[in-house]
Amino acid sequence: MLEIIHRLLFATLDAAPALVFAALGAVLSERAGVVAVGVEGMMRVGAFCAAVAALVMPTPLAVGVGMLAGATLAAVHGYLCIRWRSDQVVSGIALNLVALAGGTFLLETHFGPNGTPPIQQLAPWNWPELASVPVLGALSGHAAPTYLALLLPLLLQGMLTRTPLGLRLRAVGDKPHAVATLGLSVPALRWGAVLGGGLLAGLGGAVLSTTVLDRFEQHTPAGLGFMALAAMVFGRWTPLGAFFAAAFFAFGNALRIGLASSAPGLLDVVPQGVLLALPYLLTLLVLTFQGQRNSTPASLGVPYEQESR
Amino acid sequence: MGERTRQALPSVLSVLLSLVVCWQLIALTRDTDGTAVATAAYLEMLWGGIGDWPRFIEGAAVTVLTRPLGEAAMKAALLTLTGLSVAVAFKVGLFNIGAQGQMLLGALAAAVVGAHVTLPGVLHIPAALLGAAVAGAAWAGIAGALKLYRGVHEVISTIMLNWVAVRLVDNWLVVGPLRGVAEAGASISGTAEIHPTSQLPRLLGDSSRLNLGFILAVVAAVTVWAWLARTRSGFETRAVGLGDEAARAAGIPVARRAGFAMALAGALAGLAGAVLVLGTEGRYPGTLGAPYGFDGIAIALIGNNHPLGVGAAALFFGVLRAGGTRMQLLDVHKSFPELIQGLALLFVAGRLIWLAALRRRSTPTVATAAPPAPAAQVPHA
Repeated sequence: MLEIIHRLLFATLDAAPALVFAALGAVLSERAGVVAVGVEGMMRVGAFCAAVAALVMPTPLAVGVGMLAGATLAAVHGYLCIRWRSDQVVSGIALNLVALAGGTFLLETHFGPNGTPPIQQLAPWNWPELASVPVLGALSGHAAPTYLALLLPLLLQGMLTRTPLGLRLRAVGDKPHAVATLGLSVPALRWGAVLGGGLLAGLGGAVLSTTVLDRFEQHTPAGLGFMALAAMVFGRWTPLGAFFAAAFFAFGNALRIGLASSAPGLLDVVPQGVLLALPYLLTLLVLTFQGQRNSTPASLGVPYEQESR
Repeated sequence: MGERTRQALPSVLSVLLSLVVCWQLIALTRDTDGTAVATAAYLEMLWGGIGDWPRFIEGAAVTVLTRPLGEAAMKAALLTLTGLSVAVAFKVGLFNIGAQGQMLLGALAAAVVGAHVTLPGVLHIPAALLGAAVAGAAWAGIAGALKLYRGVHEVISTIMLNWVAVRLVDNWLVVGPLRGVAEAGASISGTAEIHPTSQLPRLLGDSSRLNLGFILAVVAAVTVWAWLARTRSGFETRAVGLGDEAARAAGIPVARRAGFAMALAGALAGLAGAVLVLGTEGRYPGTLGAPYGFDGIAIALIGNNHPLGVGAAALFFGVLRAGGTRMQLLDVHKSFPELIQGLALLFVAGRLIWLAALRRRSTPTVATAAPPAPAAQVPHA
């Protein structure tokens, strides 16, 4: 029994970071009032650029390249949505389409349909003294992103709820005009959040191709960006909530994969497709029954105009 | 500059700019002869979409024209239906990202009615189409109801519903309960093959895959246009989209108009699925392949949410995407037209940039035209 729990936890900790980072990026962007539908596309460019960069440089550096790539796509989003007040959902969808088709085009042109050549994965950190403890031992033997994914939600939560900057970021997503009356720049705060969100989404993508896989595959991230959005909504737009939602989804997935190999009979009763649909169904249920405690940022998706009041 | 031109110009310029950027992209990713390859690839795309006219003039059979044109028309039909789906929802002020999921459900419903119901030919096709429309409308109706009764934003709910549809249909129903069994007992991928009575008839016989679905899409576009532009309920629908508070004050039943528009959006997307299944695939395939539902968002916005603009955009990108397969001859992946389409959407998203640039461009012409009149009046003053 302990062995099974250990294996499930280990698989969850391996798979969750990409989802956690992307969900945190989405939270950061949306709390500042900018819709993050483009997370899927940012993850894709992050994954692609990290995999290509890792062919010529050490993998940790390549992860940084992936983050910058995600931020570059986010900068396009910011330019359209903050500078030119474009429709944020349209811009995000457009970025997704461009990343999807552009990634396929570049991959096919330079590497062929089987993905990029294999790269050096990020090395796992082993703590022998921890590894021998039952259950907790699952914490040992992961690459750096796993530990960052455990730490970063706490830091972001602290930043958003306990620092002046966090207060301003939240205010800019709820009542941007109030922030402007304090003499603060609404565009600057939103730019910061959007670029930060892009870095995190790019990191999520880079983690996919440097730890979960060892290359960029044609369909990466295969909808994980949308699951990150579900985690963000499920976690009520808070970093810790998004973390727990993402971890929960990743755990559910590990459980499903585990069941498929160890108890296939059970999957005749509850088909895999239904289990795969559960994260989205649960998110819809949460949205349906959240009632008055609506936690959507008040000015989400509303372009900021100084003159409009 | 007329108001209509001003409305259409950003879309046209965006598509042109996207064509240029993508041409440059092919040129840059080649080590030798970049520009020549890019031009050749674009020509292949053109001949693959509107028919191989050079070879036809040299004396090739007429099928070198009808096959590509048929492919382009069928792609255009699917893009028109999903584009209309997104545009109709836009008109009432809702952003329907869920066309993909609605289309999936429509395709499944059409496949089930086509394969498991026995009806004479005259009734079978309408029944399958109706089933698809109802399935799509029901799936969109969930998002509509959540919006109207629970205040759930439709962007989030339709994204979630898309994935629920993909997982339930592709990962469960099609591989499980509804999986087709071939004659010899061997299982095939996808659902059972539909009866011949439910196949959409080919319009040009064996010389192309052009079928009744194209007519259906054209009729849908014109009907939606007539409804929005010429009827009272269409006018009220647009009024709700422009400002629901004002519409409510004017006595328009806002919830009913929004609910109907969302259901119609779902029905149109569902019909797209039906056209795919009944027209070309013959069954619900293992997975639905190209994400026409997401493409619908691009088509709707490039068509400026006008039903006829949607038709025009769909026709244009239908031609490009049918031609995409021929770009493979020059080692350009067949999804390349999707990149052109995506970039065009990105440029359309910057609509205000275009309008600002056009205003700056047109101000000097106004300025040079205007001065003579005041100048003539100066002596009198």
